[in-house]
Amino acid sequence: MDMSVDDLAGGITKVVLRGRFDTTGAVVVELPFNKLVTEKRKIIVDLSAVNFLASYGIRVLLVGAKIVNGKGGSLVILCPDNNVAKVLKTAGMDALIPIHQTEAAAMAALAS
Amino acid sequence: MSPLQLSRLLLRKDVAELERLAGWIEGFTRQGTSPDVSFAVQLCLEEAVANIIMYGGAKDGPLEIAVELERNGTTLVARIEDNGRQFDPTRAPPPAPAASLEEAKVGDLGIHLMRSFASGMDYERCDGRNRLTFRFFEPPEQRR
Repeated sequence: MDMSVDDLAGGITKVVLRGRFDTTGAVVVELPFNKLVTEKRKIIVDLSAVNFLASYGIRVLLVGAKIVNGKGGSLVILCPDNNVAKVLKTAGMDALIPIHQTEAAAMAALAS
Repeated sequence: MSPLQLSRLLLRKDVAELERLAGWIEGFTRQGTSPDVSFAVQLCLEEAVANIIMYGGAKDGPLEIAVELERNGTTLVARIEDNGRQFDPTRAPPPAPAASLEEAKVGDLGIHLMRSFASGMDYERCDGRNRLTFRFFEPPEQRR
């Protein structure tokens, strides 16, 4: 899997993840993702191009959200309604990390 | 009625084996399996095998993991056998929902995901081996 970073308007950073966010994929992105969440305060994690998510991937997202939240920032997830979203909801992540289906909604949530 | 289809894969205690497992499942489910069932099989086997590789040391000799996929009509059965220490995931308690992001515990989600995405999950210990069986039922109209 791979990760790219876009700086958007309003100090928002969009992290685009692509591929299988399983144990193998999570090990690849964990370090660069952790570095990014320690540096940025308003983050959209775009999972639109992630076609698979397992518990190790959820762990990376949860640790990232905790780090951003701990310094007064916020992290939201952009994810269409698919099996990846179903994994997030089954794991109870939708109660802890805001999940939006469009980039506009995710941007609006971070704009305040 | 489709003919019985069976495939077997042997894995070592190495996290790199998970990639081989994923490719093997992809090959098996490429035809005659809906995207939802294919996803569920990938998820349950990834979680179960990752647990065995990371926590399931064998007492004598190397840890051996055998995975079987069997399709019979609209039912897909996945079996995982290993010679690691006894562990019954069907008896693990469900995770407690977290009240807030600060209090949320990291980890312990794999078994909950397996239970939620498989149609059935059974465990037995026989001849010093763990045997975990998942069942996935395919709604006929969703097969591709």
